Amino acid sequence: MKRLSLPIALALLSLTARASDISIGGVSGLAPAKSAPPRVLRWGGDSASGAPYVFQDPKDPSRVIGFEVDVANLIAKAAKTKAEFVQNQWDSLVPGLKRGDYDYVINGLEITDDRKAEVDFSDPYYLTYEALTVRKNTYDIASLADLKGRKAGTLKGALAERLLAAEGGIQVIGYDTQTMLYDDLALGRIDAVLMDHPAAVYYGIDPRLKNLPGQFGRIAYGIAMRKGDALDLARINAVIAALIESGDLRKIYERWGIWNPVMASTFIDKDSKHHAEPDAYAAYLAAHGLHLGWRAKLDVYEGYLPLLAKGAVTTVELSLISMSIAIALGLLLALMRLYGAWPVQALATVYVEFIRGSPLLIQLFFIFYGLPAVGIKLEPFAAAVLGLALNYGAYEAEVYRAGIQAIPHAQMEAAFALGMTRWQALRFIIIPQALRVVLPPTTNDFIALLKDSSLVSVITMVELTRVYGQLAAMSYDYMGLGILTALMYVLIGLPFVRLSRWAEARLTVSLRRTDA
Amino acid sequence: MSVPTTLAAKGLCKTFRGQQVLKGVDFEAAPGELIVIVGRSGCGKSTLLRCLNGLEVFEQGAIRFGDFSLEHKPGQGPSDFQEQARRMRANFGMVFQSFNLFPHLDLLGNLVAAPMIVKGLSRKEAESIAIPLLEKVGLSGHARHYPIQMSGGQQQRAAIARALAMSPKVMLYDEPTSALDPWLVDEVFEVMRKLDKEGMTQIVVTHETRFTREVARKVVFMEEGRVVEVGPTAEVFANPKDPRTKQYLSRFMA
Repeated sequence: MKRLSLPIALALLSLTARASDISIGGVSGLAPAKSAPPRVLRWGGDSASGAPYVFQDPKDPSRVIGFEVDVANLIAKAAKTKAEFVQNQWDSLVPGLKRGDYDYVINGLEITDDRKAEVDFSDPYYLTYEALTVRKNTYDIASLADLKGRKAGTLKGALAERLLAAEGGIQVIGYDTQTMLYDDLALGRIDAVLMDHPAAVYYGIDPRLKNLPGQFGRIAYGIAMRKGDALDLARINAVIAALIESGDLRKIYERWGIWNPVMASTFIDKDSKHHAEPDAYAAYLAAHGLHLGWRAKLDVYEGYLPLLAKGAVTTVELSLISMSIAIALGLLLALMRLYGAWPVQALATVYVEFIRGSPLLIQLFFIFYGLPAVGIKLEPFAAAVLGLALNYGAYEAEVYRAGIQAIPHAQMEAAFALGMTRWQALRFIIIPQALRVVLPPTTNDFIALLKDSSLVSVITMVELTRVYGQLAAMSYDYMGLGILTALMYVLIGLPFVRLSRWAEARLTVSLRRTDA
Repeated sequence: MSVPTTLAAKGLCKTFRGQQVLKGVDFEAAPGELIVIVGRSGCGKSTLLRCLNGLEVFEQGAIRFGDFSLEHKPGQGPSDFQEQARRMRANFGMVFQSFNLFPHLDLLGNLVAAPMIVKGLSRKEAESIAIPLLEKVGLSGHARHYPIQMSGGQQQRAAIARALAMSPKVMLYDEPTSALDPWLVDEVFEVMRKLDKEGMTQIVVTHETRFTREVARKVVFMEEGRVVEVGPTAEVFANPKDPRTKQYLSRFMA
């Protein structure tokens, strides 16, 4: 166990280190002071959900752009502070806000009654309606009623989802990103998309698709914040009012090509002259209108590599620390099951069966969003490590139990006969021999953990798979990027596989059974 | 080498899964004696040997060795018994039929492990004990070899040296040559003869009658969990009193 204590100590050390200076995904580690306004305007959004809201700049994927980035910056400027973007999955934006990972949500969050029960909303900063998009050769859909008996897609948790459900008889399919949503429509997997008008403006331009003219429902985007800060709410509302008055908000929407009549009538801004050119929209169209040759495509991939590498580093860090803890935990649980008094054995057995028997995804959600309810708020990295380590610890426990049992009992007796205690016999005689037995399955589990670490993107961690998702949503290239990312996983795993084989070969020299 | 201490067991009873293997066994070994325990397979001789150093938990009876005693006191948990046994066991060395060397350690590592782990000696101190012992059992050239690289006879001699490294006062052997090819048996017995000359108390379970007749001072004959005959070797062999002893000996002498 002496050889194990070092990795554990290192793991714990880096855990605590990470907890104090969290900057992953732009999350600032400092919880905002209760009353004083925060120094920076930390706002949450999902850069994978797509254009024109918040998305990665095709020219420089390390930058997020979008009309809401502009809105956030404008509000921050008016409040004489700076805006800081925090990445989170779109359908988890409200839980993340309540956890305190950021102080505002500015990401196409519709003001609805049931959301108002959870959070406070500012006055609307953007108004729009739902729009239908269908394939170019579809002529029999013009309204929601025409969708009966067909498949319609929208974003998970969006207002449009409820609008479709309320219509009845429509098979509603929820998506995570707008890219996947409109792609599936073009591919014929669904028959129509009902989305907020700005999304239709940006994704309905696909030559295989067409936007229908009908306007459905009325949507207002508001800035969401945690309940109870009336002062801050009033302050934000005042800023929004001023920005409407000055025409600055309208300029942003015009640049992005999403100024619409609903807003004109509500903001009482019927000025027919435009105030800004739709340059941002034009830039978007330019970036996506190009059909690149393979040479140019390689150049594009080269541009993605730094971002993917950053994600890969997070994946490796996460996996190594989680696995170190899982190994220690697994060994402890295995010893508890093999040599503990019956309550200890029962405890270990229940742990293993419970953790092994329930989905890692639920465990991650429980740790990240559930535990804050009882006052335990972990930073994303710590929560991810904890979730993976607790989960894999259960698997390791069974591997080590089998490994220890594979060592003949005669070895334990020989150690006893020499006067060793059970603990000494385990530590110096049994476990070193079991090491060789468990090395291949442990390597196997490490590779599995490496890949399972992609699940932690659901708790705001930006690791390799998340980066892939963001880049693919931006570039529409799920295939090329998919191969590239899969290749990176394989490359990360290979050195560990080699290391394990080398260690196994070394241990095998001296470690063949001498007794039957 | 050995302080004059007598090992005495009284009324040992041991049950395995409802079957009584020892039915009240008395046993005594005076300092410097070499005693051979004989009997048919399943007569309880190995169990007796394992009880003597507390490797088996017995239900009734007591073992005394100098100031140490081992017995089941009422209300005593199994871990108390094992701790008591462990302390007494420091006086005993045990050699197994299947050697049970530690395969992950080289020969020297096998010898220094227990002195370092149990007695807390430094590696240097432990090696200063181990190296002369390797010489004694004729394995000086094998210090860096792993068990897998050695013959059975060499492994068993190494196992004896490993036990001796803890400076025991009594050596226990559980069929030490049964797993060996016939031509490797003598090299192991040679080591035991050497120890006998040095005055080590040795208790041996074996079927080797030649060794028994030549070296053993005393023979204990067991049958169905009981000691049926004890006596000086020559006497028991020449003139067995119990008919069962007679039957056993006739078969093995043939």
